[in-house]
Amino acid sequence: MEYQFKNNEETLSLAVETDGPERFCATIGDRRREVVYRRISDHKIHLTVDGRQMMAFVADTPEGKAVIIQGRAWLLEDVAAARTRRRGTRRDGPKQVSPPMPAVVTKLLVAEGDRVEKGQGVVVVSAMKMDTTLAAPFDGMVTRINVAEGDKVTPQQVLVDIAPTENEESAPAA
Amino acid sequence: MFKKILVANRGEIALRIMRTCREMGIATVAVYSEVDERALHALEADEAVPIGPAEPAASYLNIDRIIAAARDTGAEAIHSGYGFLAENAVFAERCQAEGIVFIGPPARVIRDLGDKVVARRIMQKGGVPVIPGMTEEAGDPGAWSAQAEAVGYPLLIKAAAGGGGKGMRIVEKAGDLVQACQEASREAAAAFGSGAIYMEKFLARSRHVEVQILADTRGNVIHLFERECSIQRRHQKIIEETPSPALTPALRAAMGEAAVTAARAAGYVNAGTVEFILDPEGRFYFLEVNTRLQVEHPITEMTTGVDLVRHQIEIAAGRPLTLSQADLAARGHAIECRIYAEDPEQNFFPSPGKIVFLQEPSGPGVRNDCGVCSGFEVPVEYDPILSKLVVHAETRDQAIGRMIRALESYAVLGVKTSIGFLIDVLASRPFADGETTTDFIPTHFADWKPGADRGDLAAIAAAADALAPRARAAFNGAAAEAAHSGPFQTLGHWRL
Repeated sequence: MEYQFKNNEETLSLAVETDGPERFCATIGDRRREVVYRRISDHKIHLTVDGRQMMAFVADTPEGKAVIIQGRAWLLEDVAAARTRRRGTRRDGPKQVSPPMPAVVTKLLVAEGDRVEKGQGVVVVSAMKMDTTLAAPFDGMVTRINVAEGDKVTPQQVLVDIAPTENEESAPAA
Repeated sequence: MFKKILVANRGEIALRIMRTCREMGIATVAVYSEVDERALHALEADEAVPIGPAEPAASYLNIDRIIAAARDTGAEAIHSGYGFLAENAVFAERCQAEGIVFIGPPARVIRDLGDKVVARRIMQKGGVPVIPGMTEEAGDPGAWSAQAEAVGYPLLIKAAAGGGGKGMRIVEKAGDLVQACQEASREAAAAFGSGAIYMEKFLARSRHVEVQILADTRGNVIHLFERECSIQRRHQKIIEETPSPALTPALRAAMGEAAVTAARAAGYVNAGTVEFILDPEGRFYFLEVNTRLQVEHPITEMTTGVDLVRHQIEIAAGRPLTLSQADLAARGHAIECRIYAEDPEQNFFPSPGKIVFLQEPSGPGVRNDCGVCSGFEVPVEYDPILSKLVVHAETRDQAIGRMIRALESYAVLGVKTSIGFLIDVLASRPFADGETTTDFIPTHFADWKPGADRGDLAAIAAAADALAPRARAAFNGAAAEAAHSGPFQTLGHWRL
């Protein structure tokens, strides 16, 4: 059986051969590991990897499988599942004006038709008592403001549409 | 002594206060907002009173509702923890007017010290060294600019009415001043109900060292040594320790004495914390007095063996201090890590959500002041602190090892936390060497990413999770219910 997980930008490919109840051989790259596993509860799996015991904590989340081993956390995206929802994930975030978490719009700093420079603050949002200014991801013009002050907003929601300035790429760098 | 105390706070600090109350035989009343109906603090108190919608202004900052809750339940005193109304002089005054004891300093002292400009004046007069900063109130962009020029760049903007990093900004140059002031002021208004800000000179490579004090109504003032709180992100402390690796016995004595002087100059009563900035040359400057219990108070409790909340309650009840300076000694080394629902890879942005699983660390010298449980939805509306993990050991090295061990056995699923980041900080060479200055995280951990070393194990765990049937899926309905009824069933074919 083949598994492919994505953690941040790194893809982990895992070839799994089951060789008995609750045991398998995992090949990652050129490394082969003997694994014995026992489920303790829904979120707790006891692993013995090449004779070393450890507890793994796991949960399925909308972004992937959350795994914690010895205090370290991973979020593993199932690559096959990820392909179908590649569009509109948070990886597109830096290119649009979206809050990083559920928040409330406290102030709009621009109006439709305004020219903005990359890095310029366009909207202030507040979450968990903290104000954050969301910046324009590139030079451009504000074509549409999709929210009003006081609105509750969520990640991936585009608060302000900005049309990039033409020829941004071809402009001489020096 | 009081028979009943209302705790006007939420989360881990509300629980921590209630524990001492229970040990003293005092009944507790919790207050809770709509989103906290199932929060631990609301569940664990003897009585719980709903006080309104999630927005802090409508509930945990709503003085009328909280006073009414105290009246209705017959609570004789209110402990407000830290944050929310803890440093609100209007609230302290109102308690007094209603005949309810506010467990904290008198309203006048809160007002004087809460206004950082007035506090500086008091300390200067009392002979306590102060950091160069704003000397007059300023409330508009013109006045801000004039004050900023006088103080000099880089400077630090702070909320005049509170702490905890809310409303705080470093400003490097004049061009950034107005926007930073406006943002800080708005944040301060949301967090403390006052948008007043002030400025002081920003000292690079300095340390944040604070001294715990206790003062009774008879004029006795003692200090309980220092806490080093230099490891900060977004100007909010995340790791604190005591003793400070930077203090010599002579400097410790001098700062303790300065803190007692500061408390006397202000007419201080109850528990408080005098914060100092310590520069690389070993000069210290008064920063502010926090007129409340600090978040990081447990490390002092670990090394001194003193229950600070118990002393707060006894002082508020009018009893004289039962400790003298000569009675106090600090033993060993204590470290606290604040566990927030936040994403260290995304600039420590809050990560609210539902906690689907929680396993707390335990063992010798480990204390976890936790305010959440499995199944709890961490609300968006409040500070995302989940718990404070505190360890105590004989030496600093042993305390570091103990903290790493405790962090490694801590599991929180459902929200992102800083646990992995904290392990790396604790295990780092600069931390081991005690190079804990306020710029520690930007200097050593600016672009932290979780190490890829154990990614293979995580993938193996994910595969095992996919292969191993879940208990619910493995049994039929009745059997699944039985499987959840006790550890023997849940363990399945494990041999004990």
